[in-house]
Amino acid sequence: MHYLSGLRAHPVLWRVLAAVVGAYVFCWGEVALCVVSFTALGMGFEDAEHLASMLTMLTYLVLFLWAFAASSLVRVWGVLAGGGAVMAALASLLQWQLVA
Amino acid sequence: MFQNFRLSMAWVHTWFGLVLGFVLMICFFFGALSVFDREIDRWAIPASRFAPQPMPSFDKLLRPVFEDMQPNKESLDYLRSRVDGPLPSYFSTVHSWAAYTTHRDPVLGIYAEWEVPKVRNEDDTAWGNSTIDPRTGMLLPDDQLKIGSQFFYPMHYGLHLTWHGLGYWIVGLAALVMLAALVSGVVMHRKIFREFFTFRPQKATQRSVLDLHNLSGVLALPFHFFFAFTGLVIFASIYFPVAETQLKPLHELHEKLEEKTTGLPHERSRLAAPLASVDAMVAEAQRRWEAKGMAGEVGYLSVSHVGAANSYVSIYRAGTDRIALVGDGIHFKASTGQLLREDPPRTTPDSLNTFLTGLHLQHFRHWLLRWLYVLGGLLGCVCIATGFIFFVEKRKKQHAKTGSQGSRVVDALAVTTVTGMLIATLTILIANRVLPEFLPVGWPARGDLEFYLFWAGWLLAMAHAFVRSAPVAQGQLNPAWREQCWAVAGMAVAAVLLNWITTGDHLIRTVFTHTYWPVAGVDLFLLASAALAALATRMLTARMKAFKPKLSQPQTEELAHA
Repeated sequence: MHYLSGLRAHPVLWRVLAAVVGAYVFCWGEVALCVVSFTALGMGFEDAEHLASMLTMLTYLVLFLWAFAASSLVRVWGVLAGGGAVMAALASLLQWQLVA
Repeated sequence: MFQNFRLSMAWVHTWFGLVLGFVLMICFFFGALSVFDREIDRWAIPASRFAPQPMPSFDKLLRPVFEDMQPNKESLDYLRSRVDGPLPSYFSTVHSWAAYTTHRDPVLGIYAEWEVPKVRNEDDTAWGNSTIDPRTGMLLPDDQLKIGSQFFYPMHYGLHLTWHGLGYWIVGLAALVMLAALVSGVVMHRKIFREFFTFRPQKATQRSVLDLHNLSGVLALPFHFFFAFTGLVIFASIYFPVAETQLKPLHELHEKLEEKTTGLPHERSRLAAPLASVDAMVAEAQRRWEAKGMAGEVGYLSVSHVGAANSYVSIYRAGTDRIALVGDGIHFKASTGQLLREDPPRTTPDSLNTFLTGLHLQHFRHWLLRWLYVLGGLLGCVCIATGFIFFVEKRKKQHAKTGSQGSRVVDALAVTTVTGMLIATLTILIANRVLPEFLPVGWPARGDLEFYLFWAGWLLAMAHAFVRSAPVAQGQLNPAWREQCWAVAGMAVAAVLLNWITTGDHLIRTVFTHTYWPVAGVDLFLLASAALAALATRMLTARMKAFKPKLSQPQTEELAHA
């Protein structure tokens, strides 16, 4: 609960952090998962990297703005940090399957 | 937190635009100058004022130069703490040699990498670079700064803040904020179509500045979006380094797979073999391009694992007539000249990537487009600068009443990033012409001194902007705007005159009798800047004379929420 009261005390700061850092965490997960998935589908590593980063830069923009537009700050952080962690974990799992 | 979507977007636009706007000014302005980076290099290094040259003969000219090369000082400094024991005094195992040229390069940049014995991270190599006259193979003095391609160009993507790549990250965030500012700007202003055609210069400053902000933002919206976006894509592997971290195992697996399909070895073999004639390989590559109906010059040439039995030579076609920087690579076995591989047609993701990055980096030949790029970059500066001025104009009367210093500080920073940046730029150009060719022993290198003077000029302009900023706190104009415009006009003319005095290249010569557009273009651009700055001085003088504080001003709804 301490965490939530912090959110309420400095809402702008938490939104700025969500937009910059939270969205970065999400985007890291997206890049990693996209690269692994694309290579699993037969694409070359560098092609996968380029395509993943082009898609993700657009995601970053959308998430950046969403962090300010969304009504619930808790939901914003949940989606950004949670989504990023889940995608990054999936990427590592899939990579482990591909490399093994 | 925000009452509605539009207000949340207005908040993002105002505050992120303000904070990162100062960085964006640098990116757009020096990016615009970088469009003509090689031409600015010619202006700054008079010894290199000759016509662009094709890639010279490797066997006769490049090879001896490469063989004499050794790592540069920055590289050795970097490696010193990353090896066990002392660094060798001579680096003998060459990892690669490379040369890159375009249709605008009289001089040739060459690069080499060496393997480092006892290095802890095996990916670390020693590197070195030189610039040569491709007609003779003579080295150009390396203490001279290529002001266009080694100063203005890296400034626009890295701010010369090299500590842990900090500059890249700041510029990356600024690019993201530029995209966010464009989207939020469109959301804030419903009458977007009308804004294409609205400019009311005779209205109050606040109104006409907003018109100009909207006009420059909307008119060049696709340009601004494209450059901010592709800038992020170009450095994506810096911003999301998954290949070297989380996905390193997968990356290494793919490198091995790639090695199998391309036949180009990633690791150096232990056996040695001599290098066959590379000129013969170049001739064969050109014959193959011609057979495909796309005869062309060599843009990029490299030799990998030099001296090893599995060494190979890669020859890429210059992208003068297409958007990709280079392409259609052909690879040969270095010891025999036997063809190893011809690159297949690009895959779809690769075509998309080279198209986007190639359009940003534009090494192709298209002079009209090149000038439109400059115009687009400067429109970006107009958009950001008018954003600052609008921010100040909207608040300064209120701040004058409440005694707040907010608009005064923002205005002084705006002076620093608009006219102050021009002063810094002109300082480095003037320093380049004034400093003697050879400096006394014990002085910093000539290029380093130019670099320091640039920052000194900028700091001085900043100090001036703050010292003169008091009237803003009373709701009036900062006289630093006018004074610095005056300085810009004087310095731009001085730079042109100094170029004439120190090199003998005056405009009649560079335009008419011994036409050399790179230098003439820089001079003409400087004179045009001087004229604009003089005009701005006159208008600001008139405005300051006519100034009478008007405290109550009707505000439209749009002004109120912007």
